[in-house]
Amino acid sequence: MAELHIIGQIIGATGFPQNSLFCKWGVHTGGAWRLLSGLKEGQTQVDMPQTGDMAYWSHPIDLHYTTKGLQGWPKLHLQVWHQDSFGRCQLYGYGYIHIPSSPGQHRLQCVTWRPLGSWQDQLSEMFVGGGPQLRSPDLIYSGADRYRLHTVGMGTVELELCIFLRHFDRYGVES
Amino acid sequence: MTSDNPSVFLLMVNGQIEAADFPEYDDLYCKYCFVYGHDWAPTSGLEEGISQITSKGRGSRSLVWNFPLDISFKSTNPFGWPQIVVSVYGPDTFGNDVVRGYGAIHIPFTPGKHTKTIPMFVPESTSRLQKFTSWLMGRRPEFTDPKVVAQGDGREVTRVRSQGFVTIQFNIVTKDMKKLGYETTSEHSTATGLTKTSQKL
Repeated sequence: MAELHIIGQIIGATGFPQNSLFCKWGVHTGGAWRLLSGLKEGQTQVDMPQTGDMAYWSHPIDLHYTTKGLQGWPKLHLQVWHQDSFGRCQLYGYGYIHIPSSPGQHRLQCVTWRPLGSWQDQLSEMFVGGGPQLRSPDLIYSGADRYRLHTVGMGTVELELCIFLRHFDRYGVES
Repeated sequence: MTSDNPSVFLLMVNGQIEAADFPEYDDLYCKYCFVYGHDWAPTSGLEEGISQITSKGRGSRSLVWNFPLDISFKSTNPFGWPQIVVSVYGPDTFGNDVVRGYGAIHIPFTPGKHTKTIPMFVPESTSRLQKFTSWLMGRRPEFTDPKVVAQGDGREVTRVRSQGFVTIQFNIVTKDMKKLGYETTSEHSTATGLTKTSQKL
């Protein structure tokens, strides 16, 4: 069976309104994929950068998958949250990116978006904070039910991932 | 040296911890160590080290260590690829040795020369009172085991502040990864797209 190694780190995030941020991430695959070792979801530390705009997490990712088919290639989805000085957490963005399919080192930028509520929600958000969130995180990486959603773009998350493929050429797969 | 059916592949790492960029601190030294998975074992070289203490010169803002790294690993599995964990320490106003930053990065994966700049962060005190007492007593929050920085789980409850960078240069050589079936670089990236044409004059 073919094997895929995903090794790298979530470097950090930039372009958000405040920079005391953390990120919850997860990797979703189709039915043909099996995780042999590694953690496929996690949460980074909260970083408050002293200088500059970018929040750095340096969160390591090390996953080893085996697969019987190409469908359901892994997708990495993430949620960026802001923690303020009172310890309250507020959602700052959802984003997802496909794990690269070609072997080698990749520097990736994942764009994020946040759901926008009605004008009353936006007004209360300005004073009190908070804001609408998705009920189920599946919508972050699936396109099926998005047509009613109204969103606004937020910052970008930077990742550096290295992909190792093993035995894919035995099955005639070119990448 | 040559083997037809190798069972392990080798990773050889040369390099140096070149310099640090900490705008607010001076007189720093660093410690490094390697963190790797169960399938990996170092075959030669030093796994840990402590550098000299360096200060910023009069004109320059950079803190130079030029600290050599030299280690080789063997493994059966890329899972648990080694990471280097760097911790930087320096004196505070009262002369105590306090931690100025932790950082970690994977050893680069492809053969060649790589220059990496890693962000350094310190754990943050929980409350303002604790921040004041730790500044007074010279006992800042630090990780009991710096290897925690290289792990992914258990970090969701830590709050940190990032405050500097360290530049590391690596030269990487791998052996037998292709023989074991691992593709580490894309074929399309190595093709230059040029064809040789000969012209008869």
